[in-house]
Amino acid sequence: MEIAINGKAVAVPERLNDVVLLDFLRDFVGLKGTKFGCGIGLCGACTVHVDGIADRSCQLSVADVAGQEVTTIEGLSGAAPDSVLHPVQQAWIDESVPQCGYCQGGQIMTAVALLRDNPDPTEEEIRDEMSGNLCRCGTYPRIHRAIVRAAKGGQDVSRG
Amino acid sequence: MSVAVERKGMNRRAFLIKSGWLAAGVTVLTSCGAARSVLPAMPSFSSPEPEDALAWVQALPGGQIRFFCPRMEMGQGAPLGLSQVVAEELNIRQQEIDCVSPATDQTPPFKMTVGSEGIFDFFMPVSYGAARLREALRGLAAEKAGLAPELVQDGESGFVLPDGTVLSYGDLVPSEPVVLSVSASSRADEALRRYALERKGAYRAIGQRWKHHELEAMVTGKTVYSRDVTLAGMLYGQVRRPPAFGARLQSANGRAAEAMAGVNAVVIDKGRNFVGVVSDNPFVLATAVQAIEVEWEMPEELNQDQIEAVLDVEKYRAQNDFEHELTAAGDIEAGRAQAVHRNTARYDTSLAAHAQMEPRAGVAWVRKDKVEIWCGSQDPFFVQRRVAKAINRNLDDVVVHSHRMGGGFGGRVLCLASEEAAVLSAAAGKPVRVQWDRETEFQSSYFQPIFSHFIDAGVTSDGRISHWEHDFVSSPIMTGPMPKSIAMVVDRVMADEGTARGALSPYQLPDHRVRYSDIRTAVPIGPWRALGAAPNNFAVESMIDELAVAAGMDPVKLRLLNLPPEAVRLAAVLERAAALADWGQTVPEDWGRGIACGVYKGQTAAAVVAEVRVDHKARQLLITSMWCAQDCGLVVNPDQVEAQIMGNLIWGCTMALKERLTVAAGAVQERNFDRYEILTHREAPEMTVALVEPPDAPPVAVGESALGPVAAAIANAVFDATGRRARRLPMSYEGVFSDG
Ligand code: FES
Ligand code: FES
Repeated sequence: MEIAINGKAVAVPERLNDVVLLDFLRDFVGLKGTKFGCGIGLCGACTVHVDGIADRSCQLSVADVAGQEVTTIEGLSGAAPDSVLHPVQQAWIDESVPQCGYCQGGQIMTAVALLRDNPDPTEEEIRDEMSGNLCRCGTYPRIHRAIVRAAKGGQDVSRG
Repeated sequence: MSVAVERKGMNRRAFLIKSGWLAAGVTVLTSCGAARSVLPAMPSFSSPEPEDALAWVQALPGGQIRFFCPRMEMGQGAPLGLSQVVAEELNIRQQEIDCVSPATDQTPPFKMTVGSEGIFDFFMPVSYGAARLREALRGLAAEKAGLAPELVQDGESGFVLPDGTVLSYGDLVPSEPVVLSVSASSRADEALRRYALERKGAYRAIGQRWKHHELEAMVTGKTVYSRDVTLAGMLYGQVRRPPAFGARLQSANGRAAEAMAGVNAVVIDKGRNFVGVVSDNPFVLATAVQAIEVEWEMPEELNQDQIEAVLDVEKYRAQNDFEHELTAAGDIEAGRAQAVHRNTARYDTSLAAHAQMEPRAGVAWVRKDKVEIWCGSQDPFFVQRRVAKAINRNLDDVVVHSHRMGGGFGGRVLCLASEEAAVLSAAAGKPVRVQWDRETEFQSSYFQPIFSHFIDAGVTSDGRISHWEHDFVSSPIMTGPMPKSIAMVVDRVMADEGTARGALSPYQLPDHRVRYSDIRTAVPIGPWRALGAAPNNFAVESMIDELAVAAGMDPVKLRLLNLPPEAVRLAAVLERAAALADWGQTVPEDWGRGIACGVYKGQTAAAVVAEVRVDHKARQLLITSMWCAQDCGLVVNPDQVEAQIMGNLIWGCTMALKERLTVAAGAVQERNFDRYEILTHREAPEMTVALVEPPDAPPVAVGESALGPVAAAIANAVFDATGRRARRLPMSYEGVFSDG
């Protein structure tokens, strides 16, 4: 079995078919940007894209994504050199969103998928879509602003 | 019996050379490098000395300034703020600072990162250390130019000579290590210019919205938290948890687990109450640890109602028996007689968890000559002492590497995962990683205790507080995590300050008394964001609101009237928050507004206005908006301070609406976010934050200072909306509208 992770084909040893995708990414592939927070699909720290759709990697097995394209926070800006940031990552920096930062990879993955489907979301749509990603540090107001900023092409949209 | 593990007296210079820290560049040291004595396996309490700061700031060849930041990063941003202080003294830009989290062999021990002290406690020593380095570099410049140091002027990242020649730090720092010994005389200190103290109004780095140097790493997933540490040849460990607080290991049989493919060893140590497994395959760990047959000796049954019965303020009132009197003056009976409106009420808050998003983890590599630990702890030197003790090694053999924490909030003074990893690594002879899962995080940490308050107070005919009789019970917090043997002695001689934090109201109270008891139960208790400040403020500021309502007074006016004349800063934030919220405007039906205020640790004044809406259809209390004004003196980085305030407001919303742990059969019942909910994005209110910065006020606490008033502001808003009081946290629609 093979899965594509951040544009690279990864061969899955058969004994690992049933391993949780999150664990596989972190401990087999060595991609540590995707985080464990709860293991039961409730915090969003483990969010990745499977064929472009945001999903909880703690709720998937490796076999579940066979033949599909998995993107993690490390692969978000594409195969380009490290220096290129995705516009949502840039908006996150412009709004100084992260506090401890632990939840932020998951937040960004969810936000990117949201904006891909809905490039100009309403406040309500942002709130709805982002409510599966918990942040104990309380960065929600800045997450919200960063998403609006990214939707507006990176413009500052007044401080609130 | 505790065995003392002592750091041998170590001359700081010898220490730096031994550690290999002094690779190159310029380090300033005092001629008398006094080493400090350190208590055995206790958290690190001592405040920093100016001389300690000399080891924190170093000029590297090329002119880069390395800052070994003595505050651990967990999202509060203290390393950024302190970098700005370094930059102010050395006239450098952000990119010229290399701010690193030191390992325990890279600086002398420093105090644990707690109590929002990062800036106020470290501003002065960091400024001192950086200013001393600047003057040492000026001395080198003077020597090079053959001039008196007075003639060498400050420049950008270096100096300017009278003839206009520019000497950058890079021109001055030699490639071989140089230690400049400076005398620590008070005369030299007096002559030392401190730009962080002098340049008020003309700061170049302080007060700027610098962005955190780790932002890009954080948004690209490159930051290495302790959970992300990987070493070559590393094994994976997991520990079997006791099923209840205080359960003792009776016997264990690891044969079935050992027979599993990938399992290297099962470690059973009855004396230590330890059962764990080591595997070279991380994916079998959870199954392997469950395959160990374990028998536990269970402690006496412990349930929620037993704990609540112990921590019941009315029981102690009935016996008129409290351990500590915080304050008392005047004559309560005489005061009570003056009351035209008298009120008595009981307020209760719940057991709560830190629930930081990163469950803790540690990697240990125990070798013959050296022990290394990789962890995220608020007190790496405590971890060093604990690990040395756990595996019976010399303190100097143990080096702790510190990583950014995925949230701390007081819960990571201990890092038990590191100790567990060390025990397993010692047995396996290889590096071992231990990661806690969410259930372990809930079950095996320590908690915020229950608080139970009773207040009897009143107002006179002219709106002044007539009397204030306040009693409460909770558990010791500061000394909560101490080993039992020490704690028993400590309890006898000491009232827990953490439990009492914020219990004294800021108002003028002619006739008053505040008493409390700090009682241990079998539930592990320890620091949680702001310690007692949030539960205590909830009681005090709820009662103030009740008095205002009883007297038919505006709650802002009643507060201002009763504040002593010297409380100008608190009065100013109250007025500012009220103005921000346009206080006094009418709100629609089922909406309400409440205000509360407080002074954190006698330093930081904050006032919060909350607006709530009651959704009868969904049977929910919604917090729609919050306004907060805070005076934390000099603001080193407004961006960070605002972020901390917003974090406090959201934390306070969670505390008010959601957080409650319950105990059954000696274990917590809430073991994941399904039953222990925290506020979501959807539920977060709109927020407006204002910083009040009086001239010449030094920087004070920020990280948990705005939390105190939040829950009371929300409860007061709920009363405004419904005419019903929420006196028990967490509050809920059902609770507010039940007639209990
Ligand atoms: S770890 Fe997957 S949702 Fe929390
Ligand atoms: S930034 Fe810390 S949990 Fe979100």
